[in-house]
Formats: sequence, C-alpha cells, structure tokens
Amino acid sequence: MDAIQINQVTKTYRVGATETHALDHINLTIGEGEFTALVGPSGSGKTTLLQIIGCLDKPDQGTVLIKGQEVTRLSANQRADLRRTSIGFVFQFFALVPVLTAYENVELPLLLSGMKTSERRARVLELLNAVGLEDRAHHRPDQLSGGQQQRVAIARALGPRPVLVLADEPTANLDTANGHQAMEIMQRLNQETGTAFVYATHDPRVIAFARRVVKMEDGKIIDNL
Amino acid sequence: MLSKLWILAYRDLGRNRRRTILSIVAVALGLGLLILMNGYIAGVMDESVQNNIRLNTGHLQIRADSYTEGELSLAWPDLLRDPEVLAAHAATLPGVRGAAPVLWAGGVIATPNDSLGIQITGIDPTSTIYDPIREALVGGVFLSADDRTGIMIGRRLAEELGLAVGSDVSLTVVDSDGNADEGVFTVRGLFHTGIPSYDQGSVLMPLAKAQAFARTERRASAIMIMLHDNQALVSVSAALRSPDLQLLSWQDMNRLFLETMQTGLAFYYILDGIVMLIVAVIIANTLLMSVFERIREMGILSALGMKGRHLTQMLLLEAACMGLVGIALGLVLGLGGVAYLTYVGITIGDIASVAGDSIALGSTIHGRFVPETFAGLSIATFIFVLLAALYPAWYAARLEPVVALRG
Repeated sequence: MDAIQINQVTKTYRVGATETHALDHINLTIGEGEFTALVGPSGSGKTTLLQIIGCLDKPDQGTVLIKGQEVTRLSANQRADLRRTSIGFVFQFFALVPVLTAYENVELPLLLSGMKTSERRARVLELLNAVGLEDRAHHRPDQLSGGQQQRVAIARALGPRPVLVLADEPTANLDTANGHQAMEIMQRLNQETGTAFVYATHDPRVIAFARRVVKMEDGKIIDNL
Repeated sequence: MLSKLWILAYRDLGRNRRRTILSIVAVALGLGLLILMNGYIAGVMDESVQNNIRLNTGHLQIRADSYTEGELSLAWPDLLRDPEVLAAHAATLPGVRGAAPVLWAGGVIATPNDSLGIQITGIDPTSTIYDPIREALVGGVFLSADDRTGIMIGRRLAEELGLAVGSDVSLTVVDSDGNADEGVFTVRGLFHTGIPSYDQGSVLMPLAKAQAFARTERRASAIMIMLHDNQALVSVSAALRSPDLQLLSWQDMNRLFLETMQTGLAFYYILDGIVMLIVAVIIANTLLMSVFERIREMGILSALGMKGRHLTQMLLLEAACMGLVGIALGLVLGLGGVAYLTYVGITIGDIASVAGDSIALGSTIHGRFVPETFAGLSIATFIFVLLAALYPAWYAARLEPVVALRG
C-alpha cells in the first residue's frame, strides 16, 4: 500500500479579490520508505502540499489518502490523532518547544501517544543516540546550535514510528556542514526505519540526497522522476 | 500527560518572569485586600454585637409582655412583678452563666454648671453579669447592693461634667406615677468600657435604690441573662417561655444593627466582585499576551498531535499556577493584616460615639479571623482566575495549525 496517495488536490488562497492557486489539480503517490525531494522555486506550492499531506490544512478539492485512509474529511481531533500517530514534521525554523529540554522535546509526541514511561525513556534515548545528541539530552534549545536543534527535531519526528516524515526546507537555516549532516541523518534513518521522507527544498546539494525528485511550479507538478 | 502539561505550564510562566510576577502580585494584593476587608467588617460586626450583649442586652431578656424597648416605661403593668424569683429560676438552667433583674429609667444628671440626659440602670451589684463593668473600673469602688446614695458613671461623662469620685450630683427621674423625682447621689466609681456611647450615657445604681427612686417597688424592667455560649439559647428560651412574658434573644435586641450591617455587606460583596474582576482581567491579559507570543509554538504543538483540549488544559494550568501562588501570597498578606487588626486594632477614638447607641463600637476597632469566609474568598478568587483563562485558552484551542505555524 502507498504511504500517500493524492488525487486532484486543489488549494486556492484568496486575498481580497485576488486568487492565488497554490495547488492546481495535483496527483501524486509516495510509496512506503521513499526518500523524496519536493523541489521548486518559492511560491511553487511545496509548503502548501506538505501542509495538506500533513493534515495541517485541508484542500479545496481532491482527496488525500494516508496508508489508504482518506483524511480530508476528518475532524480536527481526528487529524490531530493522525498527525500524532502517523506523521512526523521537521520545520525550516528549528521548531522545538523552547522551555523543554532536548529529551523532553523528543518525549512530547510519545507522551501524547500514551506510551509507557519505561518504553518512552528507552525510545527517547535511542532516538537521541541515533542523531548523536545523547550527551545533550538535558540541554534546552537555546543551549544547542542550529544543527543540533534540527537533529533533535528529526529525532522528535521519528518518535512515534510514523508512516512518513514531512520536512519543509530542513536545511534552509543551517550552514553547509550542518545541513549536510542533517540530511545524512535523515537519509540513514529512512533506510534504517523504512519511514517515508518527503522534504521540500530548492538547494541542489540537498536535492542530491533524494532517491526521487518531484518538481513543482505554479502549483503544478511539472516533473516526477 | 497532565504532569508534562504542568511542566510546560510552569516553565511557560518563567519565560516572562516580570509579567508573571506582576500578575501573581495582582492576585495576591486582590485577595489580601479582600481578606483584610472582610476580616475588618466581621470584626466590627462581632465586636459591636458582643459589646452590646456584654453591656446592654445580655444574651436573653425576659420582659413583661407590654414592655416596649425605647420607651423605658416605668408603669407597673409594663414591669416584671417578681423579678428575683424569675432571675433565680433562670440562673438554675443549664447553660446560664448569670441572670439578674435590671431596671431602666430615663433621667437627667445635673451639676451646678451643667446637665445631661442619661439612662439610669438599676443593677444587682453582686451578679456576675456585671463583671465587664467591674473590670472596667478606673476609679473609686464598685457599687454595693445596700448603697443608698452611690452611683457609678462612665469616665467620659465624669470628664464632661467635671466630676470625680466623691462628687455629688443631682439625678432626676420621672417615676412610675409620672412625677419627677429628684435626688442627690455621690459618685462612688468611674468605669471606662471603651464604648463611648455607654461611657457617656449610663448611670448605674443598686437595683433596690433604683426601684425606690423610681417608685416601682420591687419591680424590674427585665431579667438580663448571660449564657456560657450561644448554643444554650434555644433550650433556655424554651424553659423560660410563658404566655404573659416576652423573651427576647440577643438577635431580636440587635435586629436593627444586624439588618443594617447585612445591607451594608451587600456593598462589600459588590466591592469583592469588583476586586475579583480586576484580578481576572489582569490574568486574562497576561495569558492572552502569552498566547499571542507563542502562536507559532501552539502550531508546533498542534502539528505534534496536541489537541485543542490539551492546549486549553495547558493554559488553565498556567492560570492555576499563577492563581495558587498568588492566593498563597494573598493569604499571607491578608491574614497578616487581619492578625494586626485582631491583636492590635485600629484606634478610631471618638468617632465611635457618633455611630449612636445601637452600634456599641469601642474606641479601638479589631478585626476577626473568619476562616470559612477567607476560604470562600480564596476559592472564589481561584475560580475567577480560571474563568479569566477560558478566553485565552479557547483562543489557543481554536487556532488552525497551519495559521499558527505562520505565526
């Protein structure tokens, strides 16, 4: 079964009398365990597509299926449940909760999932170890570098063993070395866990990590390699 | 989950410490003020009632059915015929600390230079119910039952008329036949109860002399009964009930004052509400500011699968944290203030005399600890704080994740 199946998805933003077609009849299928780059210039619709796949937003038309489940008609709570159990997010800005430590940030989605304490603790340490931050477990985000924060975010995204991880410009705020390291970690975890990764970028060095590249322009998919 | 939300809430409050501290201070000051105000009012009410019971009314009075308070009637049908028998019977009842006949008459006290209207009270000097006067003696000696020319007056009255222990004064009373009778009496003792209206307007003399002076024979205006505590009021009243007598409890005799205070309390309830509303607005503002500053973070939490109710709980916990700390500080402030009022008090001097005879306020007003009221105020403050958090919590809960993530 495909991880994601998108059929004829359309999204239009209206500001006054102006209409912007962010997504224009998009059809896309992402298989399990794929490592896919969504590429295109700013305003091409990458972020909007990720938000719709991630159940953060709803399309105006069309359907989105995650592991065969149609998600566009779900209630807000059902979408929250789906995000918690099946989707991980990595954002461009290092989206950690600033008052929680690295350990607690990774632990948060596991807590929301109701995982038992001992299991949770083992899982958090395993993930922090996987991103090389076991010695930074009790540091808060403001005590971590940008690269370290993004690695914590990657660990957090994988916590509940999701079907897919969506990453919106994950290296945009990192220097080359840290960006490279973050992508290497994502690539390795994709191979180790079988979790599908879809990341948006327009950086050629980051695109190079992908096994599949989907090109977008003006809300349409123009190339699907 | 709740434990992590507690941690989140607690740490969120630490982000803008100054704002959080100011909000906590607002809760503390608000509650402290409410406790102080309510402790003060309770003290004023209680002190006034207790003073009235102690000096004027007792816990219970037996009067002739036709006796009207305020007229100080000396007409025989309005007086009790065998007061000693009644008093002796009352004194044997369980819960009664003391019972004694008393005779009241309106009169005038005069010196060569001045004269004043006063209330003459014929008392049984041997009765324990007059212990408060005995303890308030500041000059001379207490009356003896067989003293035929001695009186006691308040120090304030003595100062006003230029009298001292040993001074002779003229007293005039309209007796039971309606004739004015005059007699010369010697001041044996001076008392200072601290109640200006009592110290200025009362002349005490032995009951036998008062009865002879007012020509009431052995009759009395009332039997004044003091109880060990209020719980005996019902049983003692039941035991003394008789068709031709009226029984008046201290509540009956202080009805006007109690009703006036109840009316006045409505004003304080409004004031309580205003203070709580101000506190609520401050808390709502703090939390709303906090939500506005964290909109993107709310989006992240939503993206992680946190539901609206979790965000609501988190905001309510933040409010609860601020509320509980503020309430704890408010209790310290308020109880400290009430302790000062209770043990030291506020000296108001002569202002109390302006309050009139029905309010037996002393020249120093004291507060009173009212635990149930203070607990009620604390709980009400906590509820107000939580209610104040509902709007920010509702706002946070209904944020669309995608909008929140844009900040």
